[in-house]
Amino acid sequence: MTNNAVIAGIGHTDFGKLPERTAFGLQAEAARRAIEDAGLIPGDVDGLITDPGPAQGILDGITPHYLALGQYLGLDPAYVGSDILGGTSSVAIIQRAMLAIEAGLCSVCLCVYGDSALSTPGSYSYGRGDDAAFGLFGAVGMHALAAQRHRHKWGTRPEQLAEVALAARAHAAQTPHAQNKRPLTLDGYMAAKYIVEPLRAPDCCLMSDGAAAVVVTAADRTADLRQPPTRILGHGQASSLSTWASPDHFDTLPAARCGPQALARAGLTPDGIDLVMLYDCFTIVVLMQLEDYGFCKKGEAGAFVEGGRIGPSGSLPVNTSGGLLAEGYGGGMMHVIEAIRQLRGTADKRQIKDAETALISGHGLGMNTHATLVLGKSG
Amino acid sequence: MNTNSQSTYPLPQPTSFTKAFWDACQDKVLTVYACNDCGHLFLPGGPVCPQCWSSGLVSQPVSGRGTVYSFVIYQRTYHPAIPAPYVVALIALEEGPRLISNIINCASGNIVIDMPVRVMFETEDGFMLPRFEPFNPDQRNEG
Ligand SMILES: [Zn+2]
Repeated sequence: MTNNAVIAGIGHTDFGKLPERTAFGLQAEAARRAIEDAGLIPGDVDGLITDPGPAQGILDGITPHYLALGQYLGLDPAYVGSDILGGTSSVAIIQRAMLAIEAGLCSVCLCVYGDSALSTPGSYSYGRGDDAAFGLFGAVGMHALAAQRHRHKWGTRPEQLAEVALAARAHAAQTPHAQNKRPLTLDGYMAAKYIVEPLRAPDCCLMSDGAAAVVVTAADRTADLRQPPTRILGHGQASSLSTWASPDHFDTLPAARCGPQALARAGLTPDGIDLVMLYDCFTIVVLMQLEDYGFCKKGEAGAFVEGGRIGPSGSLPVNTSGGLLAEGYGGGMMHVIEAIRQLRGTADKRQIKDAETALISGHGLGMNTHATLVLGKSG
Repeated sequence: MNTNSQSTYPLPQPTSFTKAFWDACQDKVLTVYACNDCGHLFLPGGPVCPQCWSSGLVSQPVSGRGTVYSFVIYQRTYHPAIPAPYVVALIALEEGPRLISNIINCASGNIVIDMPVRVMFETEDGFMLPRFEPFNPDQRNEG
């Protein structure tokens, strides 16, 4: 056996504006659904790792998020933690759960993302330290700087960014729980106003209230599980903390380092991946990842996505539930859940036939962090 | 962290790591940090040289010339004191370090990556900020 941690359960809430719900209430619902899906009970949980999302920040200045959630859930686990890697966190906490289980620190680890970002004004429009003096606010500014570089270096056109946004909406149209199922046309994209030029409103992901959770368990206890366990075939993490002091910070993502690592651990190449779930806070990041993971050559992602290639009937569907751009902001955990639904064969109208392998990415902060998971069908 | 609820200008909050940079700006001098041990030049300031981790650092004036590494045009206002539209750019200084700033005295449609720029200083609420404007590099020797 090459891997002895598996993903046994998935659960999530609705996504959208849910002002009557608290972030903790949403997280608790996702946790309950994930444990039920796994066929386990709360008393089985001996690990808790959380991705708190930005709206909750550091709770009261001293209380770590896992402590507050663990107290509400009445847990006394063996292994705990919260990871703060921005949008990378959901994938990162699953990796940490896998490592903890494989090291014998725990055997049933609950991994929870949840936030009430849509009902918490300003949670994503923060100033970036002293650079706020120059008007650098929100994650969108950093990603627009990268988009401008891509346009300059590779001639990437707005119509090519639009392909990513249109594909996300088309996927979301087949996803019952998606937050934005409204169709988007190229004309509609081109007419949309800029937020931070060259990025328009449809280039930017949704904000959502919602939560999602998975249960990672040791493979040797899968006999009592309700669902076929999803195998973890490969994993990797890389960061660029020196930010723009790093020579190629806006041109190449850390994915270029951890992607090949995760694929090599799985014994796969990009050609061997059936399902591609890429963190899509902004359309430009999908293009950059297609290049940096090796699905196409550097600089060619714009042309690569043309003609609906990553949409529902394309040759490489990306983010089959609509992703952060249209399904809702699920922190990256919903990318994992969609991959697992596809690998289980329970993705209904969205089902990709004979899907056996999935690559899922997490990407975070000012393009500083990245993590990759490669998952495999049970058996 | 600056929040959007304040209507006063979101000025830099100098720390012991960044004070030398911002103090020099108040005298209209653009500086970078220089490592006494390996010669590395960098921004922003920190406790040690990010290349060799030496703590022997000095503040060093630079030419104020550079090029536009990338730029964006904010069309949405995030802070009431900084109304859109405005241009945010990452400037690559001639000496190497990069910094976030604004491009002024130039129509946004005329800005291109790699365009030569030079520093000038403007006050916001009495605090001097370094901003950049286009210049003709052929006139470099005339100051
Ligand atoms: Zn040094």
